[in-house]
Amino acid sequence: MTSATEVVRPAADFHGLKRVAVRRVTAPGILNNLILGAIAVLFAIPLLWLVLASIDKHASWSIALPHFTLSNFSSSLSAGRGQSLVVSLELASIATVVATVTGTLAAYVFSRRHIPWKGAALLFVLFLSGVPINVIIIPMYQIFSQAGWLSVVPTAVFIGITGLPFEIWMIKNFIDAVPAELEEAARIENVSTLKIIWRVVVPLAAPGIGAAAIYGFVNAWGSFLIPLVLISNSAQQPGAVTVYSFISAAGVNYGDIAAFSILYSIPVVVLYLAMGRFFRGGFVLGGALK
Amino acid sequence: MSSDTLTASPPQGRRLDKRRFEWGSSVLLLPAGILIAAVFVYAVIYSFYIGLTNLSLLGPKAVAYNFTGAANLSRLVNDPFFLHSLWLTFIFVFGSGVVGATVIGMALAVLMQKALVPVRLFTGAVALIAFMLPPVTIAIVWYAASVPQGTLARIFGNPNSDPLFSAPLLFVSLANTWSLAGLAMLMFVAALRNIPKDITEAATIERVGAVRRFRTITLPLLKPTVVTCGLLMTLLSLGNFTIVWLMTGGGPGTATTILPVYSYQQGFEFNNLGYGALLGNVMLIITAVFGVGYVLVARGPRRKKGRSS
Repeated sequence: MTSATEVVRPAADFHGLKRVAVRRVTAPGILNNLILGAIAVLFAIPLLWLVLASIDKHASWSIALPHFTLSNFSSSLSAGRGQSLVVSLELASIATVVATVTGTLAAYVFSRRHIPWKGAALLFVLFLSGVPINVIIIPMYQIFSQAGWLSVVPTAVFIGITGLPFEIWMIKNFIDAVPAELEEAARIENVSTLKIIWRVVVPLAAPGIGAAAIYGFVNAWGSFLIPLVLISNSAQQPGAVTVYSFISAAGVNYGDIAAFSILYSIPVVVLYLAMGRFFRGGFVLGGALK
Repeated sequence: MSSDTLTASPPQGRRLDKRRFEWGSSVLLLPAGILIAAVFVYAVIYSFYIGLTNLSLLGPKAVAYNFTGAANLSRLVNDPFFLHSLWLTFIFVFGSGVVGATVIGMALAVLMQKALVPVRLFTGAVALIAFMLPPVTIAIVWYAASVPQGTLARIFGNPNSDPLFSAPLLFVSLANTWSLAGLAMLMFVAALRNIPKDITEAATIERVGAVRRFRTITLPLLKPTVVTCGLLMTLLSLGNFTIVWLMTGGGPGTATTILPVYSYQQGFEFNNLGYGALLGNVMLIITAVFGVGYVLVARGPRRKKGRSS
């Protein structure tokens, strides 16, 4: 990468240039860093509030020097709000298992087998990954209420399905990269397809399947509208809905809101960072656009 | 095929030179296929049906509802709130998603190329965290920033002013841009990495200024990424119900009732599930138009390589 004092080499007497151009601290360079720094600071303002308010005994909506305390973190989990994070975990785990298991099987077929209209089917799957949930929430509510499914487990399965199309795409791209020769060796030994998937494909495509599972988990953990509409028991609502009820409640402690938001967000950020290791930047492109 | 003229008779029985469909494939596809069909096919068809009924969330019409034909449709075209909502959706999606997030993401990626390492790391980290945070948290931090006594009110000089109330659409748009710019940045960082260094270096040696270098070399080479990114941001912004709903609930008044919010309100606040579903269907059609565009652009370079796997 270009550092501040890099030498631009082939300059000596090229087109009349007299001297070797040495890039030092230049006006455009300073401007470049200043603009970038300014954008970064603007971006950081909302985050700064989150961090400062969470450790402030007298937190307000504004950024202020905190009167240091850690009690916000424990008090933010009282009144059943800690329980809502357990529900989030339950929802996200079920959703992840449903989507990753079915997604891996389907992705294997899309990667390895000949099926009619495969290209069209894959494009349809890619398209589905961009459909906003609001489009189908009303029919799903009607289906769920008629079937008596307005509870955690069916909702979790539905959330899993909303992440399924993109998981299929991600896993398919990873299985594509696994050499087929290994499978052929197993096939000659008459190993069943399910066993080949489980013993050969899954271990070799594990980073990709892991990344897809993380995507599924994060998608479910952040899901707000679906549980809000589809879980009828307010005591069974996940963390996302708890944050919402926090804002609308009267006489609320701002420090608690910030602390709870951090506790609720940390798993997502940690998982994304773990996923980034598989992809080294540009991970969303890895699935859809390669 | 031209080879048909050469062979005397068509080959008998199964051809061995073509890969055939194995029935085992359908067993493996079945679980995912059933789930996707149940949600994305059945529910969508059901939604188009509900959209033409007087189904209600509560009361007698929650059970005994009828098919009312085009009644909802005529209501839709005569609904001033619908047109208003469509316009707000356009401003929100185009302003914050397509223009805001794409431009800022590109600016971040381009500026990061030449920045000092600490500045670059800090910017990248902040933009990525903003993108990673769950939608609810994004809504919270922006709500905190833009209410009275919040950070922005203090920065603007009058702590009692209410930026979110005075310019609600602006602030939900800013929150949306803030949450998507990190993703756009990732896309542009990857695209910039693929631009051959020698082109820009040659231009530098020829003493072409930085601005002109960007306008005549970098920007044209980034064009495919700009299109893909713009379409992706459109889809993601259309789906960003949570931020708007948490920050403003569609208000004050109807200042931020973008289509997803209006559909939710009609369905679950005014109890008109039928009309709400119809609004959802309109959204689906809009999504389909942009989605097809996105898919076509995304597979564009792939087509030239011929049929792969």
